[in-house]
Amino acid sequence: MKRKEIFEIIPFIFIETLFFTIAYLFLIFEKTYSILGILSGIILFSIFINKIPKLNFFLAKCFSEYKKLAIIYGIIFIIALPILLRNYPYQIFILFNAGLFALLALGLNWQIGSTNIVNFATGASFATGAYTTALLAIHLGWSFWILLPIGGLAAAGIGFILGLPCMKTKTYYLSLVTIAFTLIVYLLLNNLSWTGGPDGIADIPFPKIGNYSFDSTIRLLGLEIPFQANFYYLTVFLVALTFIVDRRLRYSRIGLAWNAIRNDEVAAECQGIDVTYSKVLSFSLNFFFDGIAGTLFAFCMSHISPESFTFNVSITVVAIVIVGGMDNAVGVILGALLMTLIPEKFQVFQNYRMLIFGFIILMMLLLRPKGLFPQTVRKYY
Amino acid sequence: MTQFIEQIIFALMLSSTYALISVGFTLFFGAINIVHFSHGDVAMLGAFSGIIIYGLFRFMGSVPSWLITMVIFLLTFIIIGFLGTFFERTVIKPFRKSPLLMVLVATIALGIVIRESVRLFYPQGSNPQVFPKILPQVNYEIGRLLMRFDHLLIFLISFFLISFMFLFINRTKTGLAIRAISQDIEAANLMGINSDIIIAITFLIGSILAGLAGILIGSYQTVVRFDIGLMGGIKGFSAAVVGGLGNFYGAIVGSLILGFTESLSSAYIPGGAPYKDVFAFIIVIFFLVFKPSGILGRAAPIKI
Repeated sequence: MKRKEIFEIIPFIFIETLFFTIAYLFLIFEKTYSILGILSGIILFSIFINKIPKLNFFLAKCFSEYKKLAIIYGIIFIIALPILLRNYPYQIFILFNAGLFALLALGLNWQIGSTNIVNFATGASFATGAYTTALLAIHLGWSFWILLPIGGLAAAGIGFILGLPCMKTKTYYLSLVTIAFTLIVYLLLNNLSWTGGPDGIADIPFPKIGNYSFDSTIRLLGLEIPFQANFYYLTVFLVALTFIVDRRLRYSRIGLAWNAIRNDEVAAECQGIDVTYSKVLSFSLNFFFDGIAGTLFAFCMSHISPESFTFNVSITVVAIVIVGGMDNAVGVILGALLMTLIPEKFQVFQNYRMLIFGFIILMMLLLRPKGLFPQTVRKYY
Repeated sequence: MTQFIEQIIFALMLSSTYALISVGFTLFFGAINIVHFSHGDVAMLGAFSGIIIYGLFRFMGSVPSWLITMVIFLLTFIIIGFLGTFFERTVIKPFRKSPLLMVLVATIALGIVIRESVRLFYPQGSNPQVFPKILPQVNYEIGRLLMRFDHLLIFLISFFLISFMFLFINRTKTGLAIRAISQDIEAANLMGINSDIIIAITFLIGSILAGLAGILIGSYQTVVRFDIGLMGGIKGFSAAVVGGLGNFYGAIVGSLILGFTESLSSAYIPGGAPYKDVFAFIIVIFFLVFKPSGILGRAAPIKI
């Protein structure tokens, strides 16, 4: 290794470590003042980096040159996080929640980000996956691992049936169709007897691998890691999988077709793109991953009720995509982390959570309408 | 038969309150192609301002009830008109030229802020609040037919308000300006119309109608909660879309369809009462899928 490289790698690793330490401190701090301090520290840090062009340039260069190193370091941090947080099971649970929303938002990103379809039906697809698999698990006793794809497929089927006629409608009309669908599903779940009505379904068994149930603590090298870590790892795995699927789709003909439709539907049609097919595909794929997220949610909470699948879920996910950055998978995942962690961290304002949430969306839309990580110009290849 | 007539009157009353909200949607969409998703929450604010004003009056001792009703309507008129214009200035104006998803999410977020503010800052806001009986509670019996006077009154007030708005839009100079803006905002600007002020006036009218609708809804539901606006707004929007977004008569037709579906399905389909909203939304979806331009709306041509 050359001397110059060492001089670049060491400060780079130092900065990344600093970043991870801040993230870790943000997770374990519980006092409002310390959280506010950390948040302002992050903001000052980013301003500081932006103000010094040399440092900014250096970081950008390092990231492009040592991409693999940075990614591997990040993966190690993500895997080690539950071990670091072993005394804070609730924080691991919040991270699991954030991962769930990241799954939903990644799916929705194919619609409002890539294809420019307005979709507020996330609550409905999420519910379809959760209820289908919960009912199958309770009545037929099927295992989680079989039900995971089944939940996705059930939701995708609903998405296909709904999507086929709906893709004729556009803009406000489409938003109304999806909102109405979410409300119908919510009302049905609340009133039908076989879905348990407002009480929902309880005692859904935890997932198992062989004899190892997911509600038992992990014992590793004499460390005890709370059982929430099981779900955390499962979610991280699924988010990573979805991220890879997102990557593959984006740089395939399908992603190209979606982007073409977003830019100009008529022009896309003239280029020979089957607009209806592409739109229904994006709709069903989104429903598929929402269904998987729903299954995960049902089995991890072991109790589901219609209150978890309201219109608010749809709004939250749409807000995550917009705040994170449309058509940008990394931005969407970070958006999911921010939008779940920040309202959750301010325990003092627990009651004011939705209010803060609404204000965050409004402020973001007014001050930074392109999102935290704006969509980049697509490289057409 | 008597039950049927009662249902018809109830449906008319329900539709008329929906129409008050959906006319607002049509007004805003016609003027600046924007769907104001927190419009239902503005109606909810109207209901709450009614409760607050009534509460203030109770402290003042004996005031004739008709006077209270008049003052409630008048003050709500002013308060909600002011608030609606304020929301337009702060939340909707910055997004006038941005993509529709932005406007949609911004107004939904505004709705969240309004709802949560009422829930948190109104005393015991998360519980249902009893709405005062501000309309005379007199029942008429015609044969075996029981007529509730307040239901009839709600219908008449809504009818009066909507006709008044029609006259305003069609007969006054400001109304002409509103219509001009909805046809072509740039051409209207060239004709010397201050589109900023006219848009504000549009929101003023729409919000006033919604606020008064809130009072009327409160007085037939007898309880209001902080979240009635969400459902009310979506119903009003659905009605406007079913009738044809941007068309005033369409908004009224759509409201009638929605109101009649709801009241008749809850009365005549066995066990249908909890599902009345489901039926209404299924009808909405059917209309959207098979006649997306609405009953009276014109299909927008594709521009290249």
